[in-house]
Amino acid sequence: MVDTPDWGHAVELDDIAGAVSIVGIGETAFTKASGRTATEIGAEAAERAIADAGLIPDQIDGLTYSGAFAGFGPADFHAHFGTNHELWSSPWGGGMAWAGTAPYLAAKAIAAGDATHVLNVFPVAWATQRAEMTGGPGEVHAQQSLKQNLEVPFGWFPQPIYFATIMQRYMHEYGTTREQFGAVAVTLRDHANRTPGAVFHDKAMSIDDYLAAPMLADPLCLFDSCPISDGGGAYVVTSTERARDLRADPVVVLGVGEGYSATGTHWSQQRAFTSTPQVFAAPHAWRMAGITPADVDVLTCYDPFTVVSLMQLEDMGFCEKGDAGALAQSGALRFDSQQIPYNTHGGLLSHAYVLGIAHVIECVQQLRGSAGAQVAGCEVAAYGGYTGHMASTLVLGRDR
Amino acid sequence: MAIERGEFPLPDVDDPLVGPFFAAAARGELAITRCAECDRLVWYPASCPVCGAEPIWVAVSGRATLFSWVTVRRPFLPAFADFVPFVTALVALEEDASVRLCTMVPEVDPSVLRADQAMRVVFRPLRFATVPDREVIVPMFVPVESSSNRPPH
Ligand SMILES: [Zn+2]
Repeated sequence: MVDTPDWGHAVELDDIAGAVSIVGIGETAFTKASGRTATEIGAEAAERAIADAGLIPDQIDGLTYSGAFAGFGPADFHAHFGTNHELWSSPWGGGMAWAGTAPYLAAKAIAAGDATHVLNVFPVAWATQRAEMTGGPGEVHAQQSLKQNLEVPFGWFPQPIYFATIMQRYMHEYGTTREQFGAVAVTLRDHANRTPGAVFHDKAMSIDDYLAAPMLADPLCLFDSCPISDGGGAYVVTSTERARDLRADPVVVLGVGEGYSATGTHWSQQRAFTSTPQVFAAPHAWRMAGITPADVDVLTCYDPFTVVSLMQLEDMGFCEKGDAGALAQSGALRFDSQQIPYNTHGGLLSHAYVLGIAHVIECVQQLRGSAGAQVAGCEVAAYGGYTGHMASTLVLGRDR
Repeated sequence: MAIERGEFPLPDVDDPLVGPFFAAAARGELAITRCAECDRLVWYPASCPVCGAEPIWVAVSGRATLFSWVTVRRPFLPAFADFVPFVTALVALEEDASVRLCTMVPEVDPSVLRADQAMRVVFRPLRFATVPDREVIVPMFVPVESSSNRPPH
């Protein structure tokens, strides 16, 4: 057993390598405030994913969704499709870190005979909701009484402040420069410029633009931070055996990892302040897949802020701790680098803030050879999901 | 599910879990929770993660180091609109550096701040224009070399 840090832990997942595959993907438009509800967005993503798989709604007998964010649950599925068949479901799917672990839940349900075709869906309408002052990413945190009393009164709220504080400490520990953070933002914007559906598809960004951007909370500037968006995505999981009979080439789930920080959502107290629970999640996923990070052709990571990209690249084993800034500046994250093509759709920063579901879909697009910023000869893709106290790693590959 | 407490974002000094923190600050003391059995500091207030015993409140020195900080330029809550720019920070306590307090660094030019520099507690009234006629005394931290211990304007 390797020496594992003691500030968190990995979940001991069963080996599901190769058991299931992603056979359908669906995305909605990614926009600023659309005026649509999350449920409407979720229904559209679901429709498209089911059609992409060559299935009909009656054949979907499993649903993973986000119980934490109201969106598209089993009742919404039946109401939208006019169905009433039995539907196995779990509220521990959807987006964020759960976009990476939902295929594991599907694999277990399929192995148990509870379902055959499982849809994972995640919509978000925060851009619309924020305009209507009815919600947003900060609200979940503002509700917690310890944060309300010991953090918010001192101005330590919401996410941009948390991650500006992490960024400041990270810069102190590793000497990372603004130009290096800027290299992440500029690379992802270039990828978004090559991806037709990206919110920032038509807006170029140079390093000078980054350096001139207004500061939100020094050292964090506007372009270190992702926008708020409306949009959603969905994918369909089935057994790899069944997948081979369906329309698209299967994208096989090779490995899954899940890790947690011991201090939960109280990030101010996380012992390894400039690390993520990918330290625990990623090694588990690589082991299950029987690969190392060097085998990964495309990496997508949940990237609400530039520093979260750098931390995950390190914590997943793509470079030594503290070296990711230099890596980004070297151009290694570009889609055509033949090194570590990273967030090739533009990520949360420049594609859309749809909380990771589009990252998994981008992995599938890359493996199908249909991405905007397509990586030549992509055989293995990985998603790093991050939800503060939780991280997940999902390894996907082409069917052999 | 909006927050209904009218005094938000002032802390709730009547909250059973954290009320003693603010009661101590009103007396000019920095108080932290400590495990009643094994004496380790436990922060945030909770039963001890090691032995499970309940915590008690104890006074600490108020000496700390600056773990990290940011200069907030954009108010993310309306209450902070007339604070910006201001410095929000995490300080690591001298008694146990794994305990970090969220705090503000008042009356200091942010450009002089350095990671891990020595800080000391000061007690300041926290007031928000959005919560008229109410204030709560809270611990804030200033660099040790700073001579300023005056209340803000
Ligand atoms: Zn104890």
